[in-house]
Amino acid sequence: MYDFNIEAMYPFFDKLPAAIWTTVEISFLATIFSAILGIFLALMRRSDRLMLRAIATTYVEIIRNMPLLVLLYLVFFGLPAFGIVLSGFLSGLIALTLNSAAFMTEIFRAGLIAVPKGQYEAARSQGMTRSRMYLSVILPQILRVSYAPLGNQIIGVIMGSSIMMIATVEEVTAWMNNTGAVTYRYFEAFVVVAVVYLVLCQGTNLLRNLLGRLIFKSVAAGGRW
Amino acid sequence: MSTEPKSPGNGRAQQNPILRVEGVVKRFGENTILNDVSFNVQPGEVVVIVGPSGTGKSTFLRCVNGLEDIQGGRIVFEGQTVNARSRKVIALRRRIGMIFQNFNLYPHLTAVENVTIAPIKVLREPRDSAKERAMELFRKVRLEHRASAYPSEMSGGEQQRVAIARALAMNPSLMMFDEPTSALDPETVGDVLTVMEELAADGSTMLVVTHEMAFADHVGDRMLFMDGGSIIEDGPPEELLRNPKEERTRQFVNSVLRPDTARRRQSNGAAADPG
Amino acid sequence: MILLEFGGTLLRGLGITLWISWLALLLAAIIGMIVGVGRTSRSLPIRLIAQIYTEFFRSIPTLVQLFLVFFGITFVFNINLSPFAAATIALALEGSALMSEVVRGGIQSVGAGQREAARSSGMRAWQVELYVVWPQAIRVMVPPAVGVYVSTLKASALASVIGYVELMQTGLFIRESVRGGPGGLTVLVAVAVLYVIVNFTISQLGAAIERRSSFVH
Repeated sequence: MYDFNIEAMYPFFDKLPAAIWTTVEISFLATIFSAILGIFLALMRRSDRLMLRAIATTYVEIIRNMPLLVLLYLVFFGLPAFGIVLSGFLSGLIALTLNSAAFMTEIFRAGLIAVPKGQYEAARSQGMTRSRMYLSVILPQILRVSYAPLGNQIIGVIMGSSIMMIATVEEVTAWMNNTGAVTYRYFEAFVVVAVVYLVLCQGTNLLRNLLGRLIFKSVAAGGRW
Repeated sequence: MSTEPKSPGNGRAQQNPILRVEGVVKRFGENTILNDVSFNVQPGEVVVIVGPSGTGKSTFLRCVNGLEDIQGGRIVFEGQTVNARSRKVIALRRRIGMIFQNFNLYPHLTAVENVTIAPIKVLREPRDSAKERAMELFRKVRLEHRASAYPSEMSGGEQQRVAIARALAMNPSLMMFDEPTSALDPETVGDVLTVMEELAADGSTMLVVTHEMAFADHVGDRMLFMDGGSIIEDGPPEELLRNPKEERTRQFVNSVLRPDTARRRQSNGAAADPG
Repeated sequence: MILLEFGGTLLRGLGITLWISWLALLLAAIIGMIVGVGRTSRSLPIRLIAQIYTEFFRSIPTLVQLFLVFFGITFVFNINLSPFAAATIALALEGSALMSEVVRGGIQSVGAGQREAARSSGMRAWQVELYVVWPQAIRVMVPPAVGVYVSTLKASALASVIGYVELMQTGLFIRESVRGGPGGLTVLVAVAVLYVIVNFTISQLGAAIERRSSFVH
């Protein structure tokens, strides 16, 4: 019988908060940056100009079909070849952001499609500038359609952040690997890390549902915002 | 082939038209939607545009608002040429109120937020005064009790009246209506038309595309009959409806003024007489 | 040119990547089917267990699962798993959670009326499933299942982390061997291009199937 001994983990718990914070930090930043990038790419995909459409579509297809690990290696080893030397954290953040942006683009594109043409016309007919129209009229309506898949994407980013340990980012998976390597108790380390990820993901889920209900009222019940 | 546009026959001062339309041509690819459309709108005038569906009436309004490009001619609003590609068109649109067939209210905002968003965000009005003015407008369109409702909670007629209030909130010098009652349930059409009549009585300048012949007859100062992308006839409504000069106008009038429409025309006229 | 020299090696790596991800997908489909059916079960405990399974594996990063299987099982059960076996199991577990969602979606896409009609014609419960529900559900499942294959294929790159020599690891080895030379980056780009080409092709195939099956309906 395996002698399950969680106490073996205790000496390593002092490093855990920092690891969790790193996971949260890199995931949060990547989410924000990739959402911004995704909005622009989604707008590009609907542009009248073939060139912009082609660039955005190519970006999405390449990134979607490339493993995050490969992208990470390209950033981690590739940028120094151009004389850009970044920390592991920044390399990881860039890779995670570039990866997530492709999925964000698809989410926002679906949201854009869901906003009727008349909304654009109404906003324009009121003399709104382009940026004002998107900010005050279009984006709130996109978010209503997109907040559920956005939540899934945030979880996807948290999952992806574990790969950043390859770029020497000291996040939760790195903690598990280090602790396991020192104590030979990978299973206990796994249990700890599993709890952390479960809490992060289910917490994101909960927050998403709560915010959704708060901001968009009971969407299911009668379509009131 | 081309019909010479007739000068407005209502004797208003004509030296300063608010809107000048000169030989406008609009094409979508191979199709010519508007062909040499010319007319003027004087301040305070109510011009109704009637005609069969798909003859470019809606497209024309969209061109005036710079929502669509034109391929020929000129549209001059308050002395300024409308150019859909120029950034100046944004400022110009603020002085033109536009009412859509499908209301196009912002679904994520309440009625009062729909009315105040552009004054606050575009005209930079203080929130309080914008809201005060919105409530004033709600009284005008008889919706003060619905100010905090969301569009999805309102009937079509209510939504369209909110849309009218939303357009009025910008203090436009021209109100354009694109078939404002076509998407409404019959029982709510009257409320919207009443509001429009009152606007006309207040001296608003209005350009109305409509199929409501009774309204056009009763409220319009001038009627344009459009067919095939051109203005076929231009004159006082009573003239066009009762004594059309052109054969195509006659055919159209006969087709829309069936007995049932005529009866409604009478009752509507009696119910809301602005004079 | 480095690609001429190592092109064959890279393609062999690609073959291994396709093989392990295909194997993992097969296992994932089997487990996913069981769990997916469980998620549509009428019994609440079964539904709950199935849902916890799905949520659990969806909330644990693939890399963590990989470490658990490769190192954890070694110590817990005192058996030595090869990187190949560990990667296959981890990818299958991850994929099975995705697959269970696909299966659930497919089954639930078949209207209740179909079941009622089948039962009213005297079919037994298993006959209803076999002859009426599944033939319809499978059509709905195929396009998203292709998506699961693509994501499994992408995740298989992580097997390189525990030393399994598939496409990614092949690329890293080549890069290592030309250390200092400019060819290292070229090899990584080639690896990326191979992944993109293969996954894009599979995705397009899935989209084509989706278009065709939507015409049928």
